[in-house]
Amino acid sequence: MAAEMALVKPISKFSKTTPKFSNPRAKPCSSYIRMSSSTTTPEKTATNSKKGNKAVIKETLLAPRFYTTDFDEMERLFNAEINKNLNESEFEALLQEFKTDYNQTHFVRNKEFKEAADKIQGPLRQIFVEFLERSCTAEFSGFLLYKELGRRLKKTNPVVAEIFSLMSRDEARHAGFLNKGLSDFNLALDLGFLTKARKYTFFKPKFIFYATYLSEKIGYWRYITIYRHLKENPEFQVYPIFKYFENWCQDENRHGDFFSALMKAQPQFLNDWKAKLWARFFCLSVYVTMYLNDCQRTAFYEGIGLNTKEFDMHVIIETNRTTARIFPAVLDVENPEFKRKLDRMVEINQKILAVGESEDIPFVKNLKRVPLVAALASEILAAYLMPPIESGSVDFAEFEPRLVY
Amino acid sequence: MSTPAAVSFGTRCAGPLSAPTTHQRHHISLLRPLRSRPFPFSFSTTTTNCELSGGLLKPVLFRRTKGIAVAADTYQLDSSEPAQKEVEKKYYFVVANAKFMVDEEEHFKELLFERLRLYGERNKEQDFWLVIEPKFLDKFPDITKRLKRPAVALVSTNGSWITFMKLRLDRVLAESYEADSLEEALASNPANLEFEKPENWVAPYPKYEFGWWESFLPPGSNKDKV
Repeated sequence: MAAEMALVKPISKFSKTTPKFSNPRAKPCSSYIRMSSSTTTPEKTATNSKKGNKAVIKETLLAPRFYTTDFDEMERLFNAEINKNLNESEFEALLQEFKTDYNQTHFVRNKEFKEAADKIQGPLRQIFVEFLERSCTAEFSGFLLYKELGRRLKKTNPVVAEIFSLMSRDEARHAGFLNKGLSDFNLALDLGFLTKARKYTFFKPKFIFYATYLSEKIGYWRYITIYRHLKENPEFQVYPIFKYFENWCQDENRHGDFFSALMKAQPQFLNDWKAKLWARFFCLSVYVTMYLNDCQRTAFYEGIGLNTKEFDMHVIIETNRTTARIFPAVLDVENPEFKRKLDRMVEINQKILAVGESEDIPFVKNLKRVPLVAALASEILAAYLMPPIESGSVDFAEFEPRLVY
Repeated sequence: MSTPAAVSFGTRCAGPLSAPTTHQRHHISLLRPLRSRPFPFSFSTTTTNCELSGGLLKPVLFRRTKGIAVAADTYQLDSSEPAQKEVEKKYYFVVANAKFMVDEEEHFKELLFERLRLYGERNKEQDFWLVIEPKFLDKFPDITKRLKRPAVALVSTNGSWITFMKLRLDRVLAESYEADSLEEALASNPANLEFEKPENWVAPYPKYEFGWWESFLPPGSNKDKV
């Protein structure tokens, strides 16, 4: 999973905890990287321990999440004896694709990495570290989830289980590669620690499907967009990891296809009015999370020559078009009003961040946040209620029987 | 099979040579009670990544259909399997209008080049082609009446892969046919492809170059002119 989706869960917790939205420029990022002893330079460790920070994981609203699900329900869903909709040929085909292992020899580093990292200095350096760290966490969270699903489904559905295991192979590779990237910056994410210490967000299987499908597909579109942009504008190619994105993101795209097949095998998740509402909800959550996240980090995108908002809108529109091949409804993101709403959310979010950075006491901060949070919520709700677009796979083509190909 | 990740996660996993052991482990973990591992997942067990490659080393599950058997061969890309029998080969395809196939769906181009690269790396003979206005469509009136022209088909002897491509592209029609020779299977009618430039191209990169598909046209076919 290359992208994150975070808005969905903790909206209810909004006012309880203090700094919900993080600002990378305000807080040193190192506070939530746990240094691993092998790769850290002495100076870094020193600065870190001086503050007495004992590996605090900063869980913010927009941070990449770790997921867990109802594994028993998953087992029932993929029991071929119970579920007659399982399209075995599609799963067999996917299994062959994953076994083919297109990127078996792709993730090999060279000395360019370290050299490039040493040249990245100033504020961009911190932003790069954060990018690597967030990406690594997101990939790693995919690894954990898929790994466990692969283990749990072995008995009831060996084919689906094996696909999950092979996908966790991909995610492990991606996370490992990103973590190696962090080592170029003399840092490392302690993934074992992260596994134990992070909170896990629980989603029912149906929501895992929506969320991971979107995560994978939006991940593909982010990576391929960055790759193709940098291919065209090599002067912004500041760090070689982007050169790997073209092959890399084909993995993400295939993972998305697998969730597409999983959802087709569970038509009850796709074919009623509730499914339509959930589909729109997950689309919105993913798009808004990305937009707000990226607008807080414009320096990163500008650093590689992209206009953050244009980049995000392109990714959102393409992801939405892709998603319309499977979700029963998607948002009308190409309506200019959608972008206007996103931009207003960014403005409100910036005000919320400013409150967090002010000198006020926590009580006053919370008080000041209330109207802003309400305004943000109402923008999100308004975007959710915009007239949607009916969509879906042509395999359930009742929605358009005379479709011309 | 040690990926960079396997190293950085601190788990040791021997290469493919350890197949029997890995396989055994696989088996053992199958027999374990499902709740044996506490949640959140423990991460330091040595099986972690070995199980990953264990999956890779497991024998392929064969199914009845010919398509899947062909696909199993794909998996064994680097083994020196003898070529399949030449007679009456089955060809699988997905088809849609040319604009969709080679102009709009840019990820399609990436998939084809990725596969071509892989075949090159593993010395595997190409078994997939793009056919513009294929002649075999005449056999499928149910398809042609729903098809905008000119059409482009992706044809392969690997049925399983075509099933995957159908899943990916979705807005395509899938079928199969038999032919005695490759030439017959991939014969096409002359057609010119022309696409209007997209009205508002907002991507921060240019479109893939017109004509990228020529690398995938059947051997000896006339490259179409603009």
